[in-house]
Amino acid sequence: MHNDTSPNSNGAAPSRATPRTTSSTAGEIYPQTTMRVTKRNGSSEPVDVNKIVRAVGRCCVGLSDVDALRIATKTISGLYDGATTRELDQLSIQTAAGLIVEEPQYARLAARLLSTYIEKEVRNQEIHAFSQSIAAGHRLGLVNDRLQSFVAANARKLNDALVPERDREFEYFGLRTVYDRYLLKHPASRLVLETPQQFFLRIACALSETVQDALGLYHLFSSLEYLPSSPTLFNAGTRHEQLSSCFLLDSPEDHLETIYRSYTDVAMLSKFSGGIGLAYHRVRSRGSLIESTNGYSNGIVPWLKTLDASVAAVNQGGKRKGACCVYLEPWHADIEAFLELRDNTGDEASRTHNLNLANWVPDLFMKRVEADANWSLFDPKTVPDLPDLYGEAFERRYEEAERAGLSLSTIKARHLYARMMRTLAQTGNGWMTFKDKSNRACNQTALPGRVVHLSNLCTEIIEVTSSDEAAVCNLGSINLARHTFQAEGRVVGVDFEKLGRTVRTAVRQLDRVIDLNYYPIAITRGSNLRWRPIGLGLMGLQDVFFQMRLAFDAPEARALSKQISEEIYFHALTASVELAEEKGRHPAFEETRAARGELQFDAWGVTPDDLGRWELLRARIVEHGMRNSLLCAIAPTATIASIAGCYECIEPQVSNLFKRETLSGDFLQVNRYLARELKALGLWTEAIRSRLKLAEGSVQRLDELPEELRAVYRTAWEIPMRSLIDMAADRGAFLDQSQSLNLFIESPNIGQLSSMYFYAWKKGLKTTYYLRSRPATRIAKATVEEPKATTDDAAVACSLENPESCEACQ
Amino acid sequence: MSAAARPARLLDPGLCLTLRPMTYPKFFEMYRAAIKNTWTVEEVDFSTDVGDLKKKMNDAEKHLVQRLVAFFATGDSIVANNVVLNLYKHLNAPEARMYLSRQLYEEALHVQFYLTLLDTYVPDPEDRHRAFAAVENIPSIRKKAAFCMKWLDATRGLERLDARAERRAFLLNLICFAACIEGLFFFGAFAYVYFLRSRGLLHGLAAGTNWVFRDESAHMAFAFEVVKTVRREEPELFDDVLSSAVVAMIEEAIDCEMQFAEDLLGEGIAGMSTRDVRRYLEFCADQRLATLDLPRRYKTKNPFSFMDLQDVQEVTNFFERRASAYQVGVSGEVVLDAAF
Repeated sequence: MHNDTSPNSNGAAPSRATPRTTSSTAGEIYPQTTMRVTKRNGSSEPVDVNKIVRAVGRCCVGLSDVDALRIATKTISGLYDGATTRELDQLSIQTAAGLIVEEPQYARLAARLLSTYIEKEVRNQEIHAFSQSIAAGHRLGLVNDRLQSFVAANARKLNDALVPERDREFEYFGLRTVYDRYLLKHPASRLVLETPQQFFLRIACALSETVQDALGLYHLFSSLEYLPSSPTLFNAGTRHEQLSSCFLLDSPEDHLETIYRSYTDVAMLSKFSGGIGLAYHRVRSRGSLIESTNGYSNGIVPWLKTLDASVAAVNQGGKRKGACCVYLEPWHADIEAFLELRDNTGDEASRTHNLNLANWVPDLFMKRVEADANWSLFDPKTVPDLPDLYGEAFERRYEEAERAGLSLSTIKARHLYARMMRTLAQTGNGWMTFKDKSNRACNQTALPGRVVHLSNLCTEIIEVTSSDEAAVCNLGSINLARHTFQAEGRVVGVDFEKLGRTVRTAVRQLDRVIDLNYYPIAITRGSNLRWRPIGLGLMGLQDVFFQMRLAFDAPEARALSKQISEEIYFHALTASVELAEEKGRHPAFEETRAARGELQFDAWGVTPDDLGRWELLRARIVEHGMRNSLLCAIAPTATIASIAGCYECIEPQVSNLFKRETLSGDFLQVNRYLARELKALGLWTEAIRSRLKLAEGSVQRLDELPEELRAVYRTAWEIPMRSLIDMAADRGAFLDQSQSLNLFIESPNIGQLSSMYFYAWKKGLKTTYYLRSRPATRIAKATVEEPKATTDDAAVACSLENPESCEACQ
Repeated sequence: MSAAARPARLLDPGLCLTLRPMTYPKFFEMYRAAIKNTWTVEEVDFSTDVGDLKKKMNDAEKHLVQRLVAFFATGDSIVANNVVLNLYKHLNAPEARMYLSRQLYEEALHVQFYLTLLDTYVPDPEDRHRAFAAVENIPSIRKKAAFCMKWLDATRGLERLDARAERRAFLLNLICFAACIEGLFFFGAFAYVYFLRSRGLLHGLAAGTNWVFRDESAHMAFAFEVVKTVRREEPELFDDVLSSAVVAMIEEAIDCEMQFAEDLLGEGIAGMSTRDVRRYLEFCADQRLATLDLPRRYKTKNPFSFMDLQDVQEVTNFFERRASAYQVGVSGEVVLDAAF
C-alpha cells in the first residue's frame, strides 16, 4: 500500500529510489536534499539528512521505540529552501512532539531535543556556570541583590552541585512550559538566560538561608518530587518576590470608596501572579435606596462588570492572565442576577466573562432545600451582620430578620438551588462552597468574631478575613508519583518515610516564603505574619493508582488516599511544631483551636487509626505551639503538574488521550501507563489508537484489554462521582484548609446535580470546584477514518498482512 | 401538494409544515444538538493575538494570516447564501428546514467572528476593505470563490426538482458545499490555524476556530445525512455519472486549494510545506469520498500531526483559556436522591 513508487502528486518531491530498510518510515516522503539552510552565523549549506539523523540520534539513547531517521525525514519534509538552522532545530522538536500520540517515548525525545536547544541558546550568550547565569540576571536588573550575593559567596559549591542530567526527568510538555514561561529572559533579546537546572537551583537558593537547605530543595525540585506554586517559580530571586498564590479579600463595605479601593487591590495582587477570591456579601442589592443622592442602587452587577474589565486588563506580567473569583451568599437579593453573570446569552452589560463565581452557602439554605421550604432574599443594608455570622448564630439572626419582615422577596429554596445547578451545568462556574463547615472546621475561628468570609480562586484556601486583614497563602505540592516504592519489579505502595521527609522540607520552605514575600498591598502583610498559614498539597494521586493498578474507586485506593492525607497532615504539623521550637510560634497561636488541642479531624468527628502518635503530637502542639496556623490545602496544580509530568492533584484522569491547550501551544498527552500495558499485551497498534480516539480516550470498548485493567483505566466520566466525594470527605478530616475538587458529569441534568451537591454537603465537604461536562456536538475527527472504511477490500487485505503500514488505519 | 401532508420523498417539491409524525427525527436531533452548542463572539478572547502579530511573527507568517483572514471574510457568507438560495428551497421537511435555519444563524455567527477578527488584526480601514475585495482581486482567493459561485449558480434557477437531472444537479450542489467547500476549503484553512496554534500563536483565532470547526463539522454531518436519506429514497440517482462528477469536482477543489496554499506559503514557513498541504487535502478528500460510499482515490496519510490534536478532547487550564466544552441546554428538576 505504499505509494512511493508512483510519481508524487505535485511533482515537487521525487520519491526515494532505494528500498526501504525500516518500516517506520512507511508512507513518508523522502525528498532529495536540494534545499539549503542558513546557519546561525549567516552562511548557508545544503540540508544534510545524515547530520540531522546524527544529532537526533544522540538524544535517542535509552529510548527503545523511537526512530531518529523518521524524525529527520519528516523534519526535512516540512522545511523550505533558505530556512535557518534555528528553524530546523525547532522543527525537529515539533516533529518529535507530534509523534507522541503514536509512541509516548517521543515525549522524552522531544524533551531532550528541546533541552539541547535551550542549552545552546544559553551557551551562545557566554553563560556556562550557574553563578554566571545569576550574575547575568543581576546585571540585567532581573535578579535581586540578596540572591546575587548568596550565589557569589557560594559559587563553587553551587556550581558543582548542579546536575545537568536531571533534565532527563522531564517530559516534553513540562520542559516546554518551563522554557516558554519560567526561565528568565533577556529583557531585550528575549533569549533565556538560564537552563532548566539553573532555574531550579535559582529558585532553591532564593528560598534558602544556607547552602545545605538550598541543595536539599534543589534535589526535590530537580527530581520533580516537590514543586512550589507558580508564583514562587515565577518570582523567587527576582526584584519583586511576590511568591504567594492566593489572596482572599473580604467584601468591600457598602461605599463607593471601598468598592473602588477593592479594584485597585485586585489589580495590584493580580499583577504579581496571585489568584484572587473576593467576597461581595456586603454591597447593597438592586433597588436599595441611596440616601445621599435619594436615588436607587443598581445592585452588585455593574460593580462586577467593572471588576471584570479590570481583571481582563491586568495581564500577569505577560506570564498569564489575571483571575478572580467572586463569592456571594445566597440570601443576597442579587443572587439570581449573579448566577447569570457567565451566561453567553442576554444583555452584555450584565455579563462578566472573565470572573469566576462561587456560592458561599450556609447550612440553613441546604436545610431549606431538603425540607422543600421557602428562602428569603435580603438587601445587605438591612441585615449588615449576616456575613459575619455562621452556624446557629447565623440561623437565629436570619430567621429573626424573616420574622421582622425585612426580606425583599421570598422564593422556594429549591427554585434557587435549581438555578445554581443550571449555572454549574451551563458554565461550569458558580462553585458550591459551604460557609458553616468551612468556619466550624477552621483553626483560625476559635474566638468569636473571627469569620471565614470566602474561599479563594480555586476553593482550597479557608482563612479568616476582615476589613483590615486580607488572607494570603503560599502553596507547594508533593508529586506522589515519585513517592512510591517497588517490590519484585512492581510498584506496591507509597513510600511513607520518603513522603514524611519531603513534607518536612516543604513546610520549612513554605514557611520561609512568608518572611521573604513581597506584599503588593499592606493588609496582606499583617495578616500573613500573624497567622503564617501555608498550603501544602499533593499531585499525582492518579499516577499512584496507575502504578499500583488500582481502580480509582477501589476500597484499597480509598484507604490509601486517606492514609496519604493523614501522613501529610501529621508530618506537616510535626514540622510546624519543630519550627515553633526553633523560631517561635506564630503570634496568633493562642487564638487558634490548636492551642486548645483541637485538630482538624476533631471537627469531623473522626478518630485516626494510630491515635497514640497523634496524642503525643497534640500534647507537643499545646506545649510548644505551632509556627503556622494552617498547613494543608490541595490546589489544582494545573501548571506544576504539567511541569512534573503527573496527573493533577487528587483528580482522576479525564481521558486516556487528551490534548492540553496552553499559552505555549497545544500538546497531546497519552496515558503512558496505559500505553505500557498495551505494549506488554502486544496491543499498542495504529488500529487500537484509532479506536481510542474515536472513543474519546475511553478503553471501555477495548475488549482485548482484561476487565480489571479496563476498570483501572476508566476516565473521570466513567467513575461514580459518589466515590470521588467519599474520598474527598475521607481526606477532609486531615486537611485544615480544603481541596480543589472538580466533579465530572458528561451530560448533566438538574436532578443529578442537585443530588450530587446535596450529597457533598451532607458528607461535610467545605468546598467543591468546577463542574466539568462535555460538548453536545463534537468536532469531526479530522485524522481518524470512520470505522466502516476498513470494509474496503484492499484495506482489509493490507491490514491483515501488514498492520503497521496499513494506511486505512492511519 | 398540501402543506399538511408529508411528501413521499425529501426532494419532492413543496413547503411541508407537518412535524408530527416526523419523518426524519435525525434532522431534528441535529437541530437540538446544535442549539446546545451556542457560543458568542464576545466569549472569544483576542487579547494576545495582536501582540503575537506584532512581536512574534515574521513577514511570511503575517502574509499567511492576512490571506487567511481575507478568505474567511467572505467564505461563510457564500455558504450562507447557498443555504438560502438552494438548500432551504428544496429540502422539503420542516425538521430539515429547522436545522438549516440554525445553520444559517451559525454561518452569520462565523461571519461576525471573522469580521471581529479582521477589525482586530487589520487596523487600517482601507486594508479592511481590501480583505473583502480579495474575493475579486487576489487570484488564489478569486479562484476558490469562482468555484463556489459556479456550483451555487448551477442550481439557482431551479424552482422545483422534478426531473432526475435536476435532482442530480441539486445533489451535486449539496455535495460540493459539504465535501469541497466545508470539507476541504474550510478544513484546509483550519489546518493553518492549528498549525499556528501548535507554535503557540494566535490563541484568539484558534479558540474561535475551535467553535467554528465544531459547527462546520455538524453542517457537514447534516449534509451527508441528507445525501444518505436521498440515496435511500432514490437510489437510482446515484449512478456512475454522479460519481464521476463528484470525483472531478473534488479534484478541482484540491487544485483551487493548492493554488491558495502556494500563495499562503509562498514566502517559506518552517513546518508547513505545500507538499504536505496537498497530502493533507488528499487525505481529507478520501474521507469525504468514503463518507459518500465512493472508493478512496488518493490513499494518502495525514502528514499534519498537529491535526491529531484536534481530535482529542481538550483540558483547559483555566488560568489561560476558557473551556469551550460547556452545554447550553440543561433540563430537569431538583431531587435529592438521583443517581450520579
